[in-house]
Amino acid sequence: MEVTFNWVYILIAGAVILLFFVGLVARQKTVSEERLSGEVVEIMSSILAGAGVSEKTKNFIDASGLADYTLYFQCLDGVSEFGIKDRPARTQNSIDPIFAPHEVRSSRIVTWSLPYAMPFKVMDFLFIIPSNVKYYVMGNDADFVNEFLNSTEGIERIYVQGLPQIEPEENLQVRIIDTSGTVIPGSNVPVQLQSFEDEEVSAVVFTGANQVDFYQKQGSSWKKNNLNPLRVISLPGERDAAKYAAIFAADDQLYWCNMNKALIRMEILTKVYGGEEVAYGEAGGKLGELINYYKDDISSDCRGHLEQYNENALDALTKLSHATSACRLQQGSCADLIDAADMLKKINDKLRVSCSVSLY
Amino acid sequence: MRINDMKNKKMTRKGQLQMTETIAILFIFFILLLFGVIFYFRYQKIAFQEKQEELLAARAMESTLKALFMPELICSRGEAEPEDNCLDVLKLNATQETIQQYLDEYYFEIFSYATITVQETYPENKMWVLYDKPKPEFTRKEPTFFVVTLRDELAGTEQPEYGFGYVSVTVYS
Repeated sequence: MEVTFNWVYILIAGAVILLFFVGLVARQKTVSEERLSGEVVEIMSSILAGAGVSEKTKNFIDASGLADYTLYFQCLDGVSEFGIKDRPARTQNSIDPIFAPHEVRSSRIVTWSLPYAMPFKVMDFLFIIPSNVKYYVMGNDADFVNEFLNSTEGIERIYVQGLPQIEPEENLQVRIIDTSGTVIPGSNVPVQLQSFEDEEVSAVVFTGANQVDFYQKQGSSWKKNNLNPLRVISLPGERDAAKYAAIFAADDQLYWCNMNKALIRMEILTKVYGGEEVAYGEAGGKLGELINYYKDDISSDCRGHLEQYNENALDALTKLSHATSACRLQQGSCADLIDAADMLKKINDKLRVSCSVSLY
Repeated sequence: MRINDMKNKKMTRKGQLQMTETIAILFIFFILLLFGVIFYFRYQKIAFQEKQEELLAARAMESTLKALFMPELICSRGEAEPEDNCLDVLKLNATQETIQQYLDEYYFEIFSYATITVQETYPENKMWVLYDKPKPEFTRKEPTFFVVTLRDELAGTEQPEYGFGYVSVTVYS
């Protein structure tokens, strides 16, 4: 009887000890997974911060160790969130614009930063480009097609004449770039892409007057995501960061949310260049110092370009300040912003030539 | 009867001895367990402090990097590439005010608890305090310095005049 009792006792004690160690292992597993995802987010944040300030650079990140994780990017109410899906580790940012697909699960990620200038440098836009997305460029804007193909080496992209020429590869998501707005609107999803999941196929369409539309596959047809066309807020020229941002952004919502961050920084920068008083048509900031310096030089071209001529820096900066605030509130006003930026650019060029000084 | 008494006494003594032995073993066991727990928590504390220091150093580098590349400060040249490691003196004067105005609402998210100053060393000794938000009751701080040129477009005759200085970024935790 005594012997039987001992065995039961040993069995219970053994089970309790075993349970304790099983619990310990399970807890450690959870903790180390959380720690790992936290470290991944931390490292990725550092990589993104570094990539964000080193302008015009492409970094190829070997993410094979993260191939089992799905990174997600979203932007709501001006705040971006980035993290690992279904894990608690995440980071939020309301300053740096990051244009990326909503979800990234890839063994190689390309980060590319381009400076956004309007007309002075506002900030660097960071693009996250996973290697499992293939970009098909089409449309009649030959200049942009050539520029895009030349500037995106190392990224999965190809020029095709039209939708029938698309030859999709397995395990690759598809984004179609319609450079002239002549391919996607009014057409159906090509047969060879119809077997793909809806979220794996999308299109970005540039139409006249610097506008962009975002489309998503819905069965065999295209669904336009945005109700009204979005304006690409940029000045004409190569490496148009706002246009590239539209190409690499998941959808209209993520695009506009991140563009809004740039507009906020732009509002602040106009105050650095023109002071707080520029909103009322008076000069402060760097412009105020320049005007003050040339104030006794009555006949000088410099003073003329700064505040006296019909087209002068003070008026242009005031216009830019108003247009930036208006554009943030209502997208329809963004055309004025482009005009004001263009005017300021011309005046700055004149200042450089005739006075050897510049506003920016 | 006597023999039985003696036997019982012997057994009780043996039991007492075993009991003391068990208590001693348990005592040593708990002492060892206590050592283990103390060692584990001290290790955790040191590891946590090391991690905090590591994070602070990383934040110091990141903040310096961000400060040096701020469009509010860099020596821009129109549409051309900005000059490397160069800050615009006219912008510095203006940025001081602007950052102060948007410190909590905007710049705190970029620099968090930090102090950023630019010290001119040549030709003059002017100092600009661009950002000053030390952490209340901070326990640690990490200063970082970076040498820069300072461009003053209004000081030269034909060309802008360049001075030297350094950016000091101190982060707190």
